[in-house]
Amino acid sequence: MQFELINVEKIYQASEENKVYGAKDINLKIAEGEFMALVGPSGSGKTTVLNLIAGLILPTGGQLKHGGGDITSLSLEERTKHRLDYMGFIFQDYQLLPILTAAENIEFPLQLKGFDKKEIKDRVDWALKQVGLEKMGNRFPKQLSGGQQQRVSIARAIAGKPQLILADEPTANLDSKTAQEIIELFLKLNKDFKLTFIFSTHDQRLIDQVRTVLYIKDGQITETRTHNV
Amino acid sequence: MRGLGFLIKFSYRNLWRAPKRTFIMLLSLCLGTGFIIWDLNFATSGSKEVMKEFLTQYAGRYHITNPGYYDPDNRKEFDNYKTMSDEDIEKKEIFEKSTRRVTAPVFVSGEKKTLGVLLTGLEVEREMKLSTLARAVTVGKFLNPVGDKEIILGKRLAERINVQIGDEVAVIGQALDGSVANDLMKVVGMLDFGGGDLEESLAFTQISTAQELMALDSSRYHQRVNFDMEHDDLPVLKNVAVTNWTEILPEIGVSVKFIDNFTWVVSFIIVLVLSLGLSNTLMITFFEREKEFQSLNIIGAKASWVTMSLMIEVFLLGTVAIFFGAIIGHLFTTYCYYYPVNIQVFTGGKPIIMGGMIIQPLVRLYPVLDYYWQVPLLIYFFLSTTMIYPLIRVVRRSKNAI
Repeated sequence: MQFELINVEKIYQASEENKVYGAKDINLKIAEGEFMALVGPSGSGKTTVLNLIAGLILPTGGQLKHGGGDITSLSLEERTKHRLDYMGFIFQDYQLLPILTAAENIEFPLQLKGFDKKEIKDRVDWALKQVGLEKMGNRFPKQLSGGQQQRVSIARAIAGKPQLILADEPTANLDSKTAQEIIELFLKLNKDFKLTFIFSTHDQRLIDQVRTVLYIKDGQITETRTHNV
Repeated sequence: MRGLGFLIKFSYRNLWRAPKRTFIMLLSLCLGTGFIIWDLNFATSGSKEVMKEFLTQYAGRYHITNPGYYDPDNRKEFDNYKTMSDEDIEKKEIFEKSTRRVTAPVFVSGEKKTLGVLLTGLEVEREMKLSTLARAVTVGKFLNPVGDKEIILGKRLAERINVQIGDEVAVIGQALDGSVANDLMKVVGMLDFGGGDLEESLAFTQISTAQELMALDSSRYHQRVNFDMEHDDLPVLKNVAVTNWTEILPEIGVSVKFIDNFTWVVSFIIVLVLSLGLSNTLMITFFEREKEFQSLNIIGAKASWVTMSLMIEVFLLGTVAIFFGAIIGHLFTTYCYYYPVNIQVFTGGKPIIMGGMIIQPLVRLYPVLDYYWQVPLLIYFFLSTTMIYPLIRVVRRSKNAI
């Protein structure tokens, strides 16, 4: 099922005269297996676009669709469930729960989905294997390096086999070697399992490796480039 | 419910993120619970013990009388010659714990002064067994069980009519048949009730002497006084009236009720203060994790899930604290059962004078089972209310975007 943004705009309005466009005239179709980066300077609106796709904020104009259904018509709780069912998230600062082990962190969204015990175990083992941390499932986040924590975060995002993975500056907190490894992991997951990724990033290495780059300025997509990767 | 185990594990682990803070919350709730349970047990046992000592001294727990004996009109007119006999009582087992009395207002006259008092004729042997009245006789001796025409006066009464041990006093009253009742009685002892009014208004003699004075048949008497303190239920008896001590001494009954209720008020205040402190700590704890709640929401945890996890966290904390608090409260109560508390600790070493009588109880604490569910309920209630505001804030602020 395809995600689609049609003439989406998001206005942050402090007063009648003071309107700020977080997003303007955004038209975007996200096909299955897409590997896309939103690029732009700080405050350009790329995170706003990510939030709009995720249904975390609602547009002030336009339509936000998934599989033909209108996401904006869903209630807050329904949008949360929609994210759980169809999306995975990767954060700049990993956002792992410190009280849970790596495996339990991956298990978390699966528990929310209501999978049975066996299904959860299979999926956690599979996700840990994909990110190369099969033997570290019992470790707590503080016992892992930054790169390993980001791998757990990626495993958590893919364990539910979502239709779309949104990653906000996923390499920003990593050293260049680790960042490169993580990028390669993204590429592998995209290639092997046709997982759809949308990144918000400044990282040129990541920008160079994505298939589609959307340049955003003042909330508008100013340029679209495609690479063959 | 699928996922409940995970939810509980998640909440439990969250409790130990800041172990010191959790430990302090746990300790304060635990000690609070323990103290309230002990305090309520102390108040209840204290009231019982004080009342037991007070009632055992003279008043008794129940008065079994002719149905008209305590009619307000009769009391007002001093026309309380309503008598009864053992035949009127169906349940004879009551005799084991009770004693007969004959009571009437009379004048007691010394050489130079005459005063009105309430004269009570006692079954001396049974009184010595069931009541502690004999202990209040500090000058002279208690009545002779086989003697007659002996009288014991309150110390202040003896001073006012100026009589000493061994002196004779004239007792004048109205007999059952309306004639003037009069007799001479020998003062054998004086009662010390701590200088209260009762010392000036009470006199005691043998029941046979009182019956003779009031022209009562030896099988007739005014009241049986029941001293059983272990059973609170009113004995159900036909043909006679059973009056509880709270009706006979309403002002003391109200005081005891006030103390018991006030202990609950104090308990409420303790829990409220504890809850306010706890609420503040919970707020800090929750707000520290606000970013995490936002992330949870982003990856698909509904606000209700986050709320539920926090509620479980608080209730786990509360349950552990209440469990151990109840044990602590019970252990202290048990300790004070084996090592009773001398109530003079709270009175600066002075005895308590209650209803005109001196009482010096050692309070032996008994656990009251009801408190072991009432106090936890009270704490759960306040825990729930203290969570409301922090939870509302958490729910409101956990809906932010990336």
